Amino acid sequence: MNRKGGRANFPTIRKKGTVMSGDEKKDWGRRIEIMSRGVSRRDFIVTSIAAGVLTMVPRFAGAQAGEPYRIGVLLPTTGSGANYSERPIKILPLVAAQINARGGFLGKHPIELYFRDTQTKPDVGAREARSLILNDKVKTIIGTWSSAVAMAVQEIIHEHKVLHLTATSNSSKIVHENFTPYTFMFGPDTRMQSGATVVAVARLIKEKGWKKYATIGLDYEWGRDAQKVFVENLKAASPGTELMKELWAKLGETDFTSYITAVMSLKPDFLFGAIAGKDNETFLQQAKAAGLFKSVSYPGVFLPVTELMQQRQTLPRGIIGLNRCPFFAHMDNAIMQNYVKIYQEKFGKDDYPDDFACMYADSLNALDQAVTKASTVETEAIRKALTGATVDTCRGKLPLRDCNNQLDAPSYVGEVVDTPDYPFPIFNPKTMIMVQGHEVWVPTCDEVRRLQKKRT
Amino acid sequence: MPTTTEKRASTEATERKGWFRALYGRAGLSASVLAVLVPVALLAPLVAGEFSTVVGVEILILGLFALSFNLIYGYMGQISFGQAAFFGLGAYATALVCRAFQASTGEIGYFQFFFALFLAIPVSALGALVVGFFLVRLTGIYFAILSLAFGELLFYLVFSWYGFTGGDDGIQGILSPPFFRNSINYYYFTLGVVAAAMVIIWRITQSPFGYTLRMLRDNQRRAAFVGINVRRAMLLNFVIAGVFAGIAGSLWAPFQRSVSPALLGWMQSGSPVFMTLIGGADFFAGPLVGSMIYTALNAYVTRYTVFWPLTIGSIILVIVLFFPGGILSIIDSRLSGSSRKAEEPGRSGSPELANDRAVK
Amino acid sequence: MPTDIGSFLIQLFSGLSRSMMLFLVASGLSLIFGVMNILNFAHASLWLLGGYLTFSLYQAFCSACGQHGLLLLLAIVVATLFMFAVGWLIERVLIRRMYARELPEQLLLTFALILIISDLIKLIWGVQNRRIFLPIEPVEALGAYINPYLFVVIGCGFGVAAGLWFFLHRTRYGKIVRAAVHSREMVGALGIRIPTIYAGVFALGVAIAAFSAGVFLPIVPIGLGLDMDLIVQCFAVVVIGGFGSILGTFVASLIVGIVYSFSVLIWPGGALAIIFLILVTVLILRPWGLFGTEMRF
Repeated sequence: MNRKGGRANFPTIRKKGTVMSGDEKKDWGRRIEIMSRGVSRRDFIVTSIAAGVLTMVPRFAGAQAGEPYRIGVLLPTTGSGANYSERPIKILPLVAAQINARGGFLGKHPIELYFRDTQTKPDVGAREARSLILNDKVKTIIGTWSSAVAMAVQEIIHEHKVLHLTATSNSSKIVHENFTPYTFMFGPDTRMQSGATVVAVARLIKEKGWKKYATIGLDYEWGRDAQKVFVENLKAASPGTELMKELWAKLGETDFTSYITAVMSLKPDFLFGAIAGKDNETFLQQAKAAGLFKSVSYPGVFLPVTELMQQRQTLPRGIIGLNRCPFFAHMDNAIMQNYVKIYQEKFGKDDYPDDFACMYADSLNALDQAVTKASTVETEAIRKALTGATVDTCRGKLPLRDCNNQLDAPSYVGEVVDTPDYPFPIFNPKTMIMVQGHEVWVPTCDEVRRLQKKRT
Repeated sequence: MPTTTEKRASTEATERKGWFRALYGRAGLSASVLAVLVPVALLAPLVAGEFSTVVGVEILILGLFALSFNLIYGYMGQISFGQAAFFGLGAYATALVCRAFQASTGEIGYFQFFFALFLAIPVSALGALVVGFFLVRLTGIYFAILSLAFGELLFYLVFSWYGFTGGDDGIQGILSPPFFRNSINYYYFTLGVVAAAMVIIWRITQSPFGYTLRMLRDNQRRAAFVGINVRRAMLLNFVIAGVFAGIAGSLWAPFQRSVSPALLGWMQSGSPVFMTLIGGADFFAGPLVGSMIYTALNAYVTRYTVFWPLTIGSIILVIVLFFPGGILSIIDSRLSGSSRKAEEPGRSGSPELANDRAVK
Repeated sequence: MPTDIGSFLIQLFSGLSRSMMLFLVASGLSLIFGVMNILNFAHASLWLLGGYLTFSLYQAFCSACGQHGLLLLLAIVVATLFMFAVGWLIERVLIRRMYARELPEQLLLTFALILIISDLIKLIWGVQNRRIFLPIEPVEALGAYINPYLFVVIGCGFGVAAGLWFFLHRTRYGKIVRAAVHSREMVGALGIRIPTIYAGVFALGVAIAAFSAGVFLPIVPIGLGLDMDLIVQCFAVVVIGGFGSILGTFVASLIVGIVYSFSVLIWPGGALAIIFLILVTVLILRPWGLFGTEMRF
């Protein structure tokens, strides 16, 4: 089966050559062999579990120069999150390889990536974070997909003073209520996204004279939060618009028909959806077949590039969608061009890095910039260098807000159309708008700090 | 006919293994296994790395959880697929109290911390009382499914009650006092609590009440004829099991620094069942041994392969097929020389739970 | 509540389609448990495997012959037969050893199967979600639109129910199966091979699941983790209906599906709880389910 068929290429530290390509293969082959050898020694010891005693040979810290910089990547490789974590997992080694081609961070600290499956369970995420920190001695963790897992991981990284770079898991709680100075968010959070949706929808309300609407959401924190922020902000932006009814479905719902027919019986002008992931695809497919979009508009649906590519046959054209980091919006940006180039070199012309891949690639890139700025790989110095910094991303030069380490990242709203440039639909370049992060995030740093809980 | 040399060799071999076999002969397999495990448990954190200590804490807490399950399963003969509800209730009780105390300063005092842990007991007891009231009217598969349903309802309750429990985000930032935040200190603390709990559970199982439970398992009708109030005994046992599950949960919250509704879900309820079966439901120490194996598998396999479900699934498959009755059961049959068939009916005739030999 | 009769009927219709989707997935589980007393935790995982298989077959046929809806039918037939064989194999190699073992051990074994099957799916098909595209156009009805494919789903649900009834009550093989439920020894004494019957029933249960997965493909995209979401609903429906009764599973599916469909408007936040509330109520009032026989446990 060819790569484009979707077989995941999960790099493992034991397989030679899958971490990097090119001249570095030999060098990395040697490094990986050394790591594998160390691992198989432990392997033998670990299998004597009956004794219950596990002896671990502590690693002695070598000289600072030349010591590899270890980064843990915590993303789901099983369950429904795996579909959206596949591309970040694919692109991160490529970005790391480019940095290592110059010798690594500061030219002397090659990056080593360690991948672990969070299984979309907070307890497992916390344990794997501990394993990465205690066993693999990572200094930074990139991840996760689920916000609940991210927040559990935040407790661990804060305690062990390890940096945490996040993008896909973007609950606003991560940088507000549960904030720790070691977490940095490289995409818009849920509040910013909902705010962006309001901007777009308010515009449409004026245009089309919409009066009443309904909402449908998945009944879990992200869904509840996204819907709440949307409703509140819409009331402020467009007070005359009436919320008729809220519908809530459970995560993993396979049959949205009852919801669809219920919405149609309500006859709203438009429907707001707080549905993401595979359930989003299920809903769109069933809604289209059930004729929902003939009578009700559905603006502001979350459509990352993953969905645009995977649902190219089934996605209704003309709906207004929203996403976080579409490559097609920034093909004039050198960094984005680089991401697309290295990704396609390895995975073929038909595949593109999706929102999550680009944002996580940016996070690694930003780390590189921070290390360069701090001139050291020492964690505290990197953290200080990154806080409040302006970083070069595939979306341009963007600042990180110093009170909560939130990147001033835009959200993208556009109409789904086919273009001759790509084999799948994208947002109409003529009408796509970028809602800047600072337009829709919590207005003042004082308010932000009031939300953040006390931490030791 | 064995020659003198051979006889002497075998006696020597028996003597070398002597203390273990002697203990086994006098007090049963669990006692012997525990005798081996106790020094290991005491010394492990000092020789193993920090991660292994962390895994050790997990093994102990989940082992207690599995022991509470086996009170219902091995000793009383019913299957509870909703034990995680009480584990989760205990965890949330501790988490909420800790969060309340921590809100102003971000730190928690020792007295407050122990109070938070203690509160898990009445909360999980109450939960078990309410659920058990309905549950003990049934037996067999109906008991099992209803326990699953109640577990899911409690999960739903915690999942949806945003304002109070934080919904599916859970509660983060649960800290113990600074002394216990050190993994090794927390390990010994957990070891102490779990050991004490095990002693209490052991005493319960060896008491007249414990033998009532065995009778309920083996022949409920006869128990009723003898004048035992079956419902009341089952309910009491269910509440006791719920309390120990809650204690395990209360230890879990500060350990993980966070709680989430998944702690009450059916997947979490499956863990003690699997651990008990892997270790051996016929033995007091079975659940603990099962916890060692299952937890260690989950903690270490992911370091070596992405395909952990395939690996762990295959191992479990092998254990279920070729180690019927659990690991301890195989060890027991090897030591006692008798062969144990997989089709052996029920728990009666099991080496320890009904056997006077184990009474000590 | 939908206020006009048209919306009411449409909501009923969507409830009916939901019921049939539930029944189609759960019927195999009910059959297997009813006849063999095996609670197959991995039922939904085998369902998912059937779905992926149908998808790949459909892709293969389409690339050879061009896209056509009938090719899906062919893919479903081939996948169903293949999964029948897979079910037979699993019964012979694994399930057979578990008859004398207790319920939790059966669950542990089938849980291990879940892990293995989901990783196999990941190995073969990768982590991406799959869907197929049939040009389904919504149909106008009663002042609104409905999805015409739902008629197919409902038809299949009733068809499978009728087929199972016919099989169990009107064919010789089915009567043997029912007799084996009541008395293995007697049937064995009559010279009929019990192991073959059990293997056949298990394989049939798996085949029905695979069939339904294929039928759902045009309206339900499949992906990893879908099995975990479904299996709990399956259990609930089988228990509510009563062990050992296909009719019970059918009626329970109807109740759950239709109640759920109307609760969407009345109790929006209740999606998670509805099925378990029904389950708890039934179990407290009537532990052996709606149509179960009291002696079964």
